[in-house]
Amino acid sequence: MKRGDIPLKISELKKSIKEFWNEYKNYKSGIVGLVLLIILASVAAGASLITSVEDYNNWYNPTYWRENPVDAPPVWVNFFTSKKLPVHQVEFVSVEDFKYVEGEPTEGLRTYSVNISYEFKYDVEPSDIIIRILGAVAEGKNASITITVIRPDGHRINVYKAVSTFPELVGNYSAKTVSFSRTSKASSAIIKWASQFESEENIREVSGYPPHGDWVIRVLFSKAEVGILVGEAELLRGEYQFSISVTFFDEESMLYGAKLIIAGSVYGWMGTDSLGRDLFVGIVWGCRLALIIGVLTSVISTFVGVFYGVLSAYKGGLVDELMQRIYEIVASMPLFPILLILSWKFGATVWNLALLMALFWWTGPVKTVRSMALQIKEETYVEAAKAMGAGTWRIVTKYIIGQIIPYAFAIMALNVPGAILTEAGISFLLGGRGTREPTWGRILHDAAAAGATLKGLWWWVILPGVMITITGLTFVLIGSALDKILNPMLKR
Amino acid sequence: MGYGKYVLFRIVNLIIVLGIVTLMTAAIFDSAMTQILEAQINEMVQNDLIQYIESMKASGKTPTQEELREYEKSRIELYRKRYGLDKPFWIRILYRVRDVMTFNLGEATSPQISFAGSREVKTIILGYLPNTVFLFTTGTLITILIGLLIGLQIAKRVGSFVDRLVSILAMVSNSLPMWWTGLLLIFLFAFQLRIFPAGGLHTIPPPEDKLLYIIDFLWHLTLPLLTIVLVSFGGWAYIIRNLVIGTLQQDFVMAARAKGIPERKVLYGHVLRAVSPSIVTMSILSIVNSLWGAMITEGIFNWPGIGRLYWVALETNDMAIIIGLTYVFTLIWLVALIIIDLLYGLLDPRVKVGIGTTSS
Repeated sequence: MKRGDIPLKISELKKSIKEFWNEYKNYKSGIVGLVLLIILASVAAGASLITSVEDYNNWYNPTYWRENPVDAPPVWVNFFTSKKLPVHQVEFVSVEDFKYVEGEPTEGLRTYSVNISYEFKYDVEPSDIIIRILGAVAEGKNASITITVIRPDGHRINVYKAVSTFPELVGNYSAKTVSFSRTSKASSAIIKWASQFESEENIREVSGYPPHGDWVIRVLFSKAEVGILVGEAELLRGEYQFSISVTFFDEESMLYGAKLIIAGSVYGWMGTDSLGRDLFVGIVWGCRLALIIGVLTSVISTFVGVFYGVLSAYKGGLVDELMQRIYEIVASMPLFPILLILSWKFGATVWNLALLMALFWWTGPVKTVRSMALQIKEETYVEAAKAMGAGTWRIVTKYIIGQIIPYAFAIMALNVPGAILTEAGISFLLGGRGTREPTWGRILHDAAAAGATLKGLWWWVILPGVMITITGLTFVLIGSALDKILNPMLKR
Repeated sequence: MGYGKYVLFRIVNLIIVLGIVTLMTAAIFDSAMTQILEAQINEMVQNDLIQYIESMKASGKTPTQEELREYEKSRIELYRKRYGLDKPFWIRILYRVRDVMTFNLGEATSPQISFAGSREVKTIILGYLPNTVFLFTTGTLITILIGLLIGLQIAKRVGSFVDRLVSILAMVSNSLPMWWTGLLLIFLFAFQLRIFPAGGLHTIPPPEDKLLYIIDFLWHLTLPLLTIVLVSFGGWAYIIRNLVIGTLQQDFVMAARAKGIPERKVLYGHVLRAVSPSIVTMSILSIVNSLWGAMITEGIFNWPGIGRLYWVALETNDMAIIIGLTYVFTLIWLVALIIIDLLYGLLDPRVKVGIGTTSS
């Protein structure tokens, strides 16, 4: 785009956009930035598709996450370690996938049954197996629950059989939960089954162990040989089948489904934090929040700054002098502490934090824009417009700002990283007293508060910071390419 | 307008800007903190009341309702007076601005803040400042030096691998949070490799021997210093590269080359002289900026500098410290701007300060 050609008609606009694109695509860094921006924008826009909204809404609800392993590294650490850690897995089987038989085992009864298979291929056993049956048992009635494990070596273990109500409340349903390591019926069934392979000596030793606990899971996943109880038998890899059957004795009770939770020690793409929260959810939604903060702040502040600079230059004289003093005052204010105290006081959301930042950030482009406008003001076409009786507003908006707008886009892009960094800093310092949303800064605050660096929970510390840096870099790449193309100062 | 008049104009301007900045900062913090302070006072009075009743009981008396109310009232009055809440908002902040403008910075109100037993804001600021200077000003100086060396080198080889690497580094460091980099370095060097301490000024208790004390201090300084240099030198190198490249294309450089002056001399003599005003300006601004320290980075490294002081003052609602810091550092900043303005005239013969005669 050359100076002086203000796109007026659509065709001209199209042409100048095409011209611009032809120039832009020569900048490799600009293209990289654009690709990154498209990825980030898709993640931000599709946050509710990539992750569940329910997860996001329950971010600060610790009970929501209690089934997840805490401090679990991401699953891909298994690529780098020789000892493969079990992945945390949750299988939900809805009632439609259960086999349903009426009149079984006797007249008037209804039985639902299902087999959930689990491929065990790791070097460490899971820390627990939890089976949760969801549904509703009619008032005063019971259901009979049977859980059987079929091991890869063909052994069947009748882990659990009981007649029970669904005593817990999970969401809208009642539930019955059986934990292989904590429900004593299940633990003792596994131990009893394993004892047939074990030596007298080892059985005696184990009798001193607590009746249930993590060690029971090791037994379940060990080869059926001597040493199975004391953890000396090798792990048995292969397909384990969990066969669940639920029998109702009445017409009213209903089944909703069953959940098999394999409590692993690695979780998801980004691991979990000390509350068991899936960091992937936080990072993905944080992307949306960071883009809102960065783009909103920089768009508003750039527009205000450009308009301010142009007006100051165009008016000149006393008005210019006064506007420059106001500029100087705002630019000298201690921005960061003020933003801190204000967002603390107002318990800011990202939206009003962005507005607050824009309130102080418009000073950025003022000096440059003012000096540009001082030059443009002297151009003959501005003189001509003035002579034809065009008003201040028209001249400023159409003839001067029209010239500076392309460059303003470069400023806008270059301002985004600063806004994101500032927000991250505020959230990091204030934690729960700052923005309500789980921004990347907030996640890092939680990490620091939980001593993640000391405990070696690197994924919790590294990933949010990497995201902040990548997002900032995206806009720097785009901004500096735009700057090279559109800044008339660099052109000459 | 002569030079003398110009300087005078700048100084008057400085005082006005400084006054308004202080006033606005005071207004913002005061209005934000009043609410928090009122709650805080309420809590302290309740604590005092409990103590009062206990002490009365210990001496075998039971205070009457009347006495209790009287005591509560007197405590509230005392605290409101101490925090200046007994005066209306505008009077309060105007007095505060008048006080700081005459360098009467007052005393810290929060019990957490003191320096060597003193509660004088002036003493506290001067006490914390050296720590920030040791860390951030040193860091800035090292950054400038490294940036200058690399920038000059890559300006000679535009488009080379190193040039591209530095450009990328400059862009990355532009969006790299310094405090996060600090967290990573702590994680790596303090907790994994255990080479450097995770934070603090020195080991507790500090070594008695003078030499050992200094070594111990430097050992603690290394990691935060590394953080600062790591996130800023790329940007500096890139700016200096661009400045030098811009100058290399100018006519006088071509003339010098045509005269057969060796490239080395052209670069370090002619070009460096031509870019020096910009570099001096940036350096002064960076050094002045470094005096602020950094709230989060100092927090992470548990480094008791100015940034940390500001944060503690914010957390404990200490208006005297906040306004004192704001005033002192805004003053330094504005003075630096004037000095740069005047210095530019000396360094760059093309620039004349003021209009008309140069009567200096």
